[in-house]
Amino acid sequence: MEFPAALFPSYFGAGPPQEEGGPAPVAGWGEHGQVLGGGPGRRQVQPAFVPRRGATGDKWEAADAAAVPVLLPSAGCWIPSPAPQDILYRSGLCRKLKASKSGATLDFARQLGHFFVDYPEDAFGSLGRLLHKNFYLGNSKLKRPARNSTIRMTTLMEDIDRLEARRGCPRQHLASRLRWFSHLCRDWLFEVPLGLLADCLHEELMQQWSSLLFDDSLTGGALAWLPPEDGGTPVGCLVHPGGQAMNHLYFQDVVLEELPRTRGSPAQFELSGRVQQVAAARVDGQDFVGVRSNYHCGVWRVPGKRGAAPTPLQVIRTDVPASCLTVSPHLPGELSVCTQSGTVYLWSIETGLQQLRHDPQTMFFRDHSPWRWSDFTAHPRVLSCADRTGLQCLDARAPRRCHFDLFKVGEEAGCQQGERVVLPMYLGRAHPSQYLVTTQFSVYVLDERLPLVPVLKWAHMMKAPPLFAHLMPGKPGRSHNVLLGASRTQELLLLQYRDSFWGVSSGGSQSACQLAGTPQKLHTIAGCLQHLPTQLPHRHHLLQQRLTAPAAGLAATLQEDGPHKSMLIFQFSEAGDVIINDEEEEDVGTPAPLKEAELLQEPCASPQPSPAVPSPAAALRYRHWLRALSRACREPPRHTWPPSLSQRRLFTRRDLEGPAGPSSLQRQMRQRLRQTMEEGGRIQHWEPLGLQLPPVPQTLEPAGGPDPLSARLSAAWAGDWEQWWEERTSFSVAQRQRALRERRQRQKRAQGRRSLSASFTSSLTYQSELSELSDTGPPQLSPARPPVLSQEGSPPAGSPPVHGPVTSAAPDEALLSSQSLRCRGIPKERQKTLRDYLSVWAEGPPEPPEPPGSQASQLCIPSSQSQLSSASQPRRKRPRMGF
Amino acid sequence: SSNEHKLNFKKSKEACLSYIQDALLQKQWKRAAEFLTCYVESLEKDYSREHIGPSEMIWRIGTEILWHHSQNSMKEFNCFMEQMKTLGVKRYLKVCLEHVFHLLCNGQIDEAYQNLSVAESWRFGEQTAIQDKEMKLIQAYRGLLDYYSWSKQKNILLEHGEDGFSDLAVEQEMHGYFRKAAVNLKEIIKIPGVWDIFVKCYVDLLEFYGDHNEARQVLNEYAYNSKFPANPNAHVYLYQFLKRQGESKKSLVSALKILHDIVPSHELMIDFNTMLQKSKRRKKLRLGLEVIFAALDYAGWKENAKAWSCLARQVKQIVISEKHLDWIKQEWNSRKDWWPAFHFGRYLAKKNWQENKSLSYEKALVAGILLGKGCKYFKYVSHQGCKAQLKRFRMLKKFVNRHNPVYLRISG
Repeated sequence: MEFPAALFPSYFGAGPPQEEGGPAPVAGWGEHGQVLGGGPGRRQVQPAFVPRRGATGDKWEAADAAAVPVLLPSAGCWIPSPAPQDILYRSGLCRKLKASKSGATLDFARQLGHFFVDYPEDAFGSLGRLLHKNFYLGNSKLKRPARNSTIRMTTLMEDIDRLEARRGCPRQHLASRLRWFSHLCRDWLFEVPLGLLADCLHEELMQQWSSLLFDDSLTGGALAWLPPEDGGTPVGCLVHPGGQAMNHLYFQDVVLEELPRTRGSPAQFELSGRVQQVAAARVDGQDFVGVRSNYHCGVWRVPGKRGAAPTPLQVIRTDVPASCLTVSPHLPGELSVCTQSGTVYLWSIETGLQQLRHDPQTMFFRDHSPWRWSDFTAHPRVLSCADRTGLQCLDARAPRRCHFDLFKVGEEAGCQQGERVVLPMYLGRAHPSQYLVTTQFSVYVLDERLPLVPVLKWAHMMKAPPLFAHLMPGKPGRSHNVLLGASRTQELLLLQYRDSFWGVSSGGSQSACQLAGTPQKLHTIAGCLQHLPTQLPHRHHLLQQRLTAPAAGLAATLQEDGPHKSMLIFQFSEAGDVIINDEEEEDVGTPAPLKEAELLQEPCASPQPSPAVPSPAAALRYRHWLRALSRACREPPRHTWPPSLSQRRLFTRRDLEGPAGPSSLQRQMRQRLRQTMEEGGRIQHWEPLGLQLPPVPQTLEPAGGPDPLSARLSAAWAGDWEQWWEERTSFSVAQRQRALRERRQRQKRAQGRRSLSASFTSSLTYQSELSELSDTGPPQLSPARPPVLSQEGSPPAGSPPVHGPVTSAAPDEALLSSQSLRCRGIPKERQKTLRDYLSVWAEGPPEPPEPPGSQASQLCIPSSQSQLSSASQPRRKRPRMGF
Repeated sequence: SSNEHKLNFKKSKEACLSYIQDALLQKQWKRAAEFLTCYVESLEKDYSREHIGPSEMIWRIGTEILWHHSQNSMKEFNCFMEQMKTLGVKRYLKVCLEHVFHLLCNGQIDEAYQNLSVAESWRFGEQTAIQDKEMKLIQAYRGLLDYYSWSKQKNILLEHGEDGFSDLAVEQEMHGYFRKAAVNLKEIIKIPGVWDIFVKCYVDLLEFYGDHNEARQVLNEYAYNSKFPANPNAHVYLYQFLKRQGESKKSLVSALKILHDIVPSHELMIDFNTMLQKSKRRKKLRLGLEVIFAALDYAGWKENAKAWSCLARQVKQIVISEKHLDWIKQEWNSRKDWWPAFHFGRYLAKKNWQENKSLSYEKALVAGILLGKGCKYFKYVSHQGCKAQLKRFRMLKKFVNRHNPVYLRISG
């Protein structure tokens, strides 16, 4: 790139800035700055002059009435960062204070109060416990003996309330009781000494406040656009953070159409910190994406072809928060990193980190800000590094020796007093040796071949300092577009400049840099609020809060479709929204007569040149976005109250209703029972039980112990618990054989009475299921199963004969027994769930874990299955019902 | 109360201003103009002590609107400017200057000249530093316009001179313009600053009248005075002057050497390199190699075929003569860790081949010598070249293969 043959005239001074100033609302208007004369050529009669500012540029018009959301809101609601009203004093007294002199008053007392209320344990833990008895919180009067050692807090509270009500009253200090109390206990009541705590809190408050005033951690912006490959399909990729904590990184493919839309689901990475900055550069057809969070920086590689997955390459950790990460546009896998300790590193994927500079002091004069920045220059080994006072360029090969000053806040660049560097940016894609520097007042374009003297300067008049900038290089000879974005106010400004106009004088040699066209304000995120469908007031408020969240990033792309040019601007908000602005160029280069007329007429005819109503496609987007937002932000269920579930949800009414009348089986049974009673006989083999289960040891009192717990307890009471256990666990071979024999006989008999036993198949299968479930250790006693003795088989020796009354199951059990469940039509797979579920209710609050063996007996509902399974499984898991 | 009134007035003023600002930023010139007529009221009760007062705001906003308003005319604009000049003493010169700039840009050179003359004669008490600077600029621009008039007369004379006819009156007039221009231009270029256009004109005047010493002194001062910014153009002008004067090669080289030290990426470095390559002296040859290597370090030169051919030629010479291979080695040492990725990647090989064959030829030659025949760039380009049956690429391959040992010596 050639150096301009002549530059615009300017004075050059040295030293600190002379001009007093401050934010000036219209400082950028109405000035040409300087002119450069071409001089009369051979044929020209008159010399032609070009202004530094005021040349014609491209004319961009908003394509839609407002910005349109691109991404649907993700699940999980956004947590707004603190607002000024959260930490500022709001009472009338302080308004007076504020009006008088000092800027803002931080509500220190309220925050300290919040701390005491939110963390009482940390604030007064031990003494609170010690003095617990000496404070009385009730309303009644204290009696005489108690009065000596107890303070009635209610009185104190009343006093505090009164004090609050009298705020601003000149006699407000007359609260002797409060003063007495605070005087008495100020020194010992607090867990952390009050002075120390207050210091810490105050420091935190100051920090919060300063970050509210100006948060430089977002510098650079957390949104990157990876443009489509040249000549490829028009699919680019948006890289942005997301999630409630902004700690997820998304690579979302976006199809560029009239209204860009997302394609597919994004590639997602979970990171270990809030993403503050996303930077990207394309080298050799590949995109390298650098991501900065406070203590970690990472780099990803995205292949040029869209759809290919991004690859994480490397991560570094810093001890001090990093303040800058930029990606080299020259060499693949090179980045520069700055930390707040004043260290600048060149980070290469292959060779690691190289420290270029370490200086906690600022470069040109003293400034308290630890913010540092660094970027690349036209020379791949030379890096610029910046702080609030200016920019220097360092040669990475000899950083101590080879450096030069590129920009100084001072008379050299005609700065104002109090001006500070906000964001430097290498403009390499437009011109290899140009640099953009923004301050809170002005924007400068610098040429590194002519350091210190800005080749362009303009007062941008933005209300908040521009933290984000994006360059869209134009074709040779055309103007370049630069977007400046502010965070808190969401301002978005489009500037155009020309690095060269074809000099009228010197036969086409390059001429100096000039600002083209007028700066233009673009739609903010908050601007789409009025175009959204009408909302209920409280939702409108929430929406407003979300849409006015500070901007957190900026990216843009130019699209050329023949003569039609359009500019798409992506804006990213702290709430995680990506909003798009569409600008279209009104071609002024080839003015057709009709077009010209339009151009002339338009700005005068209608006060609002951009369409007043969003297009149907945009309106549709708004509705989709809104719906997704309301879905995503629905209140998650809370668990502060004991969980309660209606049974109706688990079972239909029909499920829960008992059978209308006795079933045929029951009728049969009753009939048989009655018959047998009339006959005076007895029913044997009432049910074909325990195919594989040997008979239980007959140590139980026949009528008494329906459950093993009572049996065990009574055995223990009698003092022969050990024997009980022995008997319970050991079975002689003879017993087993006998049991087997009995079973075979039973089976034979059962076959003989097919009609009856056939109706019990369900319980049979149930039992066998159980045996499959358990690895049949010593079988547990099931109270639902009465001991059945065969007529033929002699009862086991030493055990009293058992009469066989059919013990009725407990009501709970009746509900849980598989039969009753089955007959209520509850499918098998849900039976276990139900049982588990109900057992929880019965269990009550969770208890300390029990040794596995004993847990079975702890269960209040001795359903056979739960006993068995708990006995066999090492530790019973709590039932999972989704809470 | 009056205090409250003041506050309210201030508030509504601010609101009005923000409306105007909004309209301007959205190019709604008519709307802005309507608001501005309301804002004019603020002039009456100007309590503000801000550094941009309402009168300046009105000037700035009004100018901007008149620039863009569809129904503007130069006459209205001039009228507005005249009014604005009377609004504030402090800003008089500034407004004059801007007015002149606008006239100049619209081709009204004579009106501009008149305005400059009026402004120059303006006196009001003691001048502030800023006013002093503005006055100097006004004089300088007047000098510039005088120079243009001079140049016009000169052209007329020259054309007429060819006819063998000379007009004494025209000549007289021309000398008059010279004197006026020279005085004013001489003044401004003494003050530190960027005065490219003024210096150029002044030197042109001096040269025409044969005052080469003065011209040389002016250019030397402009280039080497440390109070001036390090302006590459200052050195370029000096170099061009020396060249015009037919100065010795040595002085040309020394002028360019300084430019090389300040701006290694200046486009004159190619001329410099060619000049040095022609030299017989080892030191200069060596410098030439340094210059071209340094230029190619910069991103702006990446695809400059001319520069690559310079480097290729010199490297080839060195390789063939097998003398001074250590020069290449030394230059290569500080670059071998990043030039391969920066210049000689496979992606670039493809791209260069597609876009500019001769560039890829030169680069492949350099790559083959510096990185050996196994280098990706060389391999790709020579392969493509042979496939396309281009003779010089075959020669290139042969050459690199023959001189492969050089690579070992450079890298070793």
